[in-house]
Amino acid sequence: MTRESSSSAPSKEERKSSHGFRREVRYGIHLLRKNPIVLLGSIVALGSIVLSLSSGLVVDQNSWKTTHIALRLCWNNPIVNWNLRNVYDCAGPTTYTLGTDNYGRDVFRMIILAIPLDLRISLEIVLSAVLIGTVFGGIAAYAGGTLDELILRLTDIFLAIPSLLLAIVLATILGRTLENLTLSVLITWWPTYVRLMRSQVLTEKEKPYVEALRAVGAGRFRILFRHIVPNSIYPILVQGTLDIGSVILTFSALTFIGFSPSPLIPELGNLVNQGIEFVFTAPWLIIFPGLTIFIVSLGFNLLGDGIRDIFDPRLRR
Amino acid sequence: MVFVLLGVTLIVFYLGRGLLPPESALAPYITPRMNDGTKLQLARSLGVATISCPSWSALASHESVCLVPIWGQYLSWLGNVLAGNWGYSLLPGLSGTQTTWYVFWLRFPYTAELAVAGTILTALVAIPLGIISATRNNRLPDHISRFISLGGYSVPAFWFGLILQLLFVLYIRVGGNALLPSNGVLDTSCALCLSSPGQVTGYTGTPILDALLSLNPAYFWDSLVALALPTLTLAITSIGALTRILRSSMMEVLKQDYILLARSKGLKERVVIYRHALKNAVLPSITITGLLFALLLGGVVIVEVVFSWPGVGAASVVASTVVDVNFLELYVLVTAFIIVLTNLLVDIIYAKLDPRIRY
Amino acid sequence: MAVMSRALVTKDAVLEVKDLRVDFHTYAGDVKALNGVELTVKRGEILGLVGESGCGKSVTALSIVGLLPQNAEVVSGEILLEGRDLLRLTKEEMRLARLGEIAIVFQDPATYLNPVINIGAQITEILTSDRRRFQVELVSAGLKDFEGRVQGKPLSPALEKEGRRLRSITPSSRMRRGEVKRLAKLLALSYLRMVKLPDAARVFKMYPFELSGGMRQRAIIAMALARRPKLLLADEITTALDVTVQAQILRLLKELKEKIDASVVLITHDLAVVAELCDRAAVMYAGNIVEVAEVKELFANPLHPYTKGLLEAIPRPDSRSELKSIAGSVPDLLFPPTGCRFHPRCPFAFDRCPKVAPPLVEVSPGHLVACLLYGG
Repeated sequence: MTRESSSSAPSKEERKSSHGFRREVRYGIHLLRKNPIVLLGSIVALGSIVLSLSSGLVVDQNSWKTTHIALRLCWNNPIVNWNLRNVYDCAGPTTYTLGTDNYGRDVFRMIILAIPLDLRISLEIVLSAVLIGTVFGGIAAYAGGTLDELILRLTDIFLAIPSLLLAIVLATILGRTLENLTLSVLITWWPTYVRLMRSQVLTEKEKPYVEALRAVGAGRFRILFRHIVPNSIYPILVQGTLDIGSVILTFSALTFIGFSPSPLIPELGNLVNQGIEFVFTAPWLIIFPGLTIFIVSLGFNLLGDGIRDIFDPRLRR
Repeated sequence: MVFVLLGVTLIVFYLGRGLLPPESALAPYITPRMNDGTKLQLARSLGVATISCPSWSALASHESVCLVPIWGQYLSWLGNVLAGNWGYSLLPGLSGTQTTWYVFWLRFPYTAELAVAGTILTALVAIPLGIISATRNNRLPDHISRFISLGGYSVPAFWFGLILQLLFVLYIRVGGNALLPSNGVLDTSCALCLSSPGQVTGYTGTPILDALLSLNPAYFWDSLVALALPTLTLAITSIGALTRILRSSMMEVLKQDYILLARSKGLKERVVIYRHALKNAVLPSITITGLLFALLLGGVVIVEVVFSWPGVGAASVVASTVVDVNFLELYVLVTAFIIVLTNLLVDIIYAKLDPRIRY
Repeated sequence: MAVMSRALVTKDAVLEVKDLRVDFHTYAGDVKALNGVELTVKRGEILGLVGESGCGKSVTALSIVGLLPQNAEVVSGEILLEGRDLLRLTKEEMRLARLGEIAIVFQDPATYLNPVINIGAQITEILTSDRRRFQVELVSAGLKDFEGRVQGKPLSPALEKEGRRLRSITPSSRMRRGEVKRLAKLLALSYLRMVKLPDAARVFKMYPFELSGGMRQRAIIAMALARRPKLLLADEITTALDVTVQAQILRLLKELKEKIDASVVLITHDLAVVAELCDRAAVMYAGNIVEVAEVKELFANPLHPYTKGLLEAIPRPDSRSELKSIAGSVPDLLFPPTGCRFHPRCPFAFDRCPKVAPPLVEVSPGHLVACLLYGG
């Protein structure tokens, strides 16, 4: 070995240590640089979560409850002029950034209150669906045979009914409470995850390490839930992130068509629903809550897209 | 396939009969002129009440001697359902004189028209967008198409529809009229509408098809114009979904070895993409288009509400408020049937296109 | 170095690759895949290109046909096909070169055929793609088929008309689409027969999944033949095949080369194949050509330490000595060794090796080596 070649040795060591976590981070940064939109989406998604956790500090949690029916819809934000015939400029010291609604409430505050509610419900639905999908999909694929067939057919049946329609029927029969609406959407959502998890486990269980585990006498449930599931869960988590946005869309669609338990509830779809009547006289009532749904949902979709790119082995070179 | 349909009937049946009291299951069948005796007879003939049930009031107070176990009711229910005996519609304004079956099929053609138009628009926009996005990967056209598809995928359809209405009714005006109609099937006050479309014979109940069959171009044009905004609203979400799927499958295909061989043969890039790549890439999209139709049959509810479209979707929301479960159940069964049929069709097309699949 | 490469210019060269450098841009950095490749292919010869996997053989081949992946960049060099620099061609000119001058056959026949297009269409699409490019071949295939049909029989008016029509087509005359299609099928069938596919008419209609690996590779070779190439690149064409099929395909390749009068670059990691088939051989290591010689000379008198190592690693039935292997492993081309890229593994390395990249020099007529032990 000569002097020159030995001097290249430390850099080799350095490279070795940079494998693993730092390598992942570097790859992630590389992807973000290639695709700045993903970064934007991640900021929006994380921002909406932070906002949800801190909305109590920004807005009084009970400010949506009102018995007061305002007869005038207010718009006194001087930046936007709606070019409408009747915009009511409410005199007073407070500027309503996004106007007031037909109950005299500040639309901006209602949106700040609504984001955590929608996000919480969406997370509940997605997490439950992921859990159901992981357990049932995993068991179906691992057990095989009749049980697999049964679970698969069950998902077939649920997938043959349009999800919004099924949710409408369920909400009609169960009654219109937030819990029942959540349950209705969940019932339409779980089959996708069962399918996804099942196909993942099917490919994973053929790998040699599973054979090896069986050979050393590991228990079936232990193999499935301690080894196979953790190895095949990434696509499900990616799908889950993507679905947070979609679930918000579906849930707000339900409340928009009138399934909200009360017209006063600060939920984004319901806020838009309350504004339909005034669409041509007070467009801010629908524009801003709807825009919020759009932005939050877009954020999670972009985030999910980015996460998928990071975990997609086919994109790596 | 039959299994899936049977499963759907079981779920629908359980939701209606298992979770609601027997009176509400009977409500659509009861007319105001019935007395308690005829009501009891009706309940027995529908398989809701037992033969040994003494009186209507006993059934109404859920006495156990009257109640047929839920699994016992299924067959008689299925018989009624298949015979089209769905009772009278509870929708407001009809006051129990029109059957659910009739009301449903009167409205269904409008929904079908919208869903088919939405599927066609989706395919027309999404396929080119997906191809452009994949072949100009990470360049400007890709970013634009990615933005459109992700935006379309994330936008709440009801909001998008309302914004379109707002734009076309309030802000984009031609000669004092809105450019496009935004309310209902036939609107003659918009700038692009013809003022006197005339009449058509109701062969199918679908305005566009009827106009074609009656050879009435003015009516056809007006129906088409009326479809514009609702169809766009309906398609916007699925355009996003289909574009994304087509883009990723196209990119996957373009990385395949056989594309490299096709290029190495000196074929034109056009031939490589449209002949070699697209044929492989559309295969998964065909399945998706089938699923899409299902998605649209459900998503149509929102669009019908926003645009006051006289289809079954908007009616189902009203049916829900008056708890007309039969109307909803009929809607679910019909869509499930169409979806299962579509899936079968998709399988057949798939086998035709992919030589590797032979039955 | 420039002086040296000029000395290599031979009049009968079909292809000359000069100082070709190719980088791959990855998120981890630039992979310097080719580091000044020098290669000459003479008219009518079979040149073996040997080396371990990852040494840049396939990258060299892909650079020649202009089909490097998107993240690859040709940093410098020239690829002269009969004196014309392929690297300076426009995309369209390069496409035409692939259509008519250079053909490549790849490693795994299972993945290189389009699964949803039948074999026949995958050949005829070449012949019908450019209007006049294959007109002469098409017409002569048509005439041959026509003569086969009329042999000794009296001509019917319809046949007579057909014959007149075929004879009247000149290379510049226009043909109808249907006529081109019919002749293309005849010509494609003749190529399928040429690669010795049994029952060509049936194979013509079959889809790739219905064929065995060897049959697929024959079909791909037929696609290469159909272009009448001057240069045929065979990139590990037998690696994915069964041993018995391998021998058949290689024999076929040699026969066809004579028939269509093409030069062949046979890329392989199998020295036995080189010994059997090739006229000359070039040894590659980590993005460099390290040694070029006639096959007999190379096996009898290997000069480069890497070539020596490779030859010692071949198991021989007559030898009792232990099988040797080359110490160390293939270098990471993200951070390639300085100077001679082989020096960390070289048993004869001395102080100048890490500093100077050795040029390829001719040490005896036709025997070139890139090693500081032999001057340079």
